[in-house]
Amino acid sequence: MTGMIQGGWGVVWAVYGITWASLILYGISLHLRERAQ
Amino acid sequence: MKVRWETYLGAVGFLMLLGAHYVGLFVAPPEAMMGDVGRILYAHVPTAWIGLLTYLVSFIAAIGAMLTGKATWDAMVEASVEVGLLLNALLLIQGSLWGKETWGVYWTWDPRLTTCAIMVVAFGVVLALRKQIDEPARRLTISSVATIVAFVNVPIVYMSVKWWDGLHQNFSSPETVDSAMVTPLRAAAFAMLFLSTAFVVRRWRIALVQLTLEFDAPDLPDPSAPLAVED
Repeated sequence: MTGMIQGGWGVVWAVYGITWASLILYGISLHLRERAQ
Repeated sequence: MKVRWETYLGAVGFLMLLGAHYVGLFVAPPEAMMGDVGRILYAHVPTAWIGLLTYLVSFIAAIGAMLTGKATWDAMVEASVEVGLLLNALLLIQGSLWGKETWGVYWTWDPRLTTCAIMVVAFGVVLALRKQIDEPARRLTISSVATIVAFVNVPIVYMSVKWWDGLHQNFSSPETVDSAMVTPLRAAAFAMLFLSTAFVVRRWRIALVQLTLEFDAPDLPDPSAPLAVED
């Protein structure tokens, strides 16, 4: 027993997935908005 | 087709962030208390730092817009507030997932969390106001004032962990963090800086085209004015 939280990879993947998806989608939205001008 | 400089900067940021996150996830040691959950650090902390920095840009742009009345500053307000809100929203989502795993709850009225929530609402109001006001000069003035008012909370967000006791972790420094964690954290922060700068500049160009057209448009006659009738 070390007192360290065990596991938790699911939430780690969720955070990184949401972060990357948001950044990529925002980048795409900028590209589309610029093309629309 | 000409490739603009911010495209290269964004590409560098993207690749750097990929590398930093890889090291954070698979190479860096687990955090002493939080274990592998602590790896959220490499996404969450750079998002927070660069989010606050983006709001600082919007504050400076708002002052510039107020002093000059020019579309170029107004476009920077629009761009930096939008990107700041993206990072702010991400920050709250990342933090609530991290909180659930370490504190047992997605949300608590901790001073850092509460001030961050106020921050997203305050800057959200800035964008909402910009959507509601059609007259360019009036929009510039009102949204600049709203941005300056919203920014008052940003230093409070930063200092909240120092000023009040709460669940959120206090400031860390390279002396208190394992050196194997410092390098990917710094790399992720610079990567996020490059990527966000690219986003702000590209968004600024888009806003500038639109705002320049609006600022340069000839004034139309007031529809409520009485019509002149010639005899």
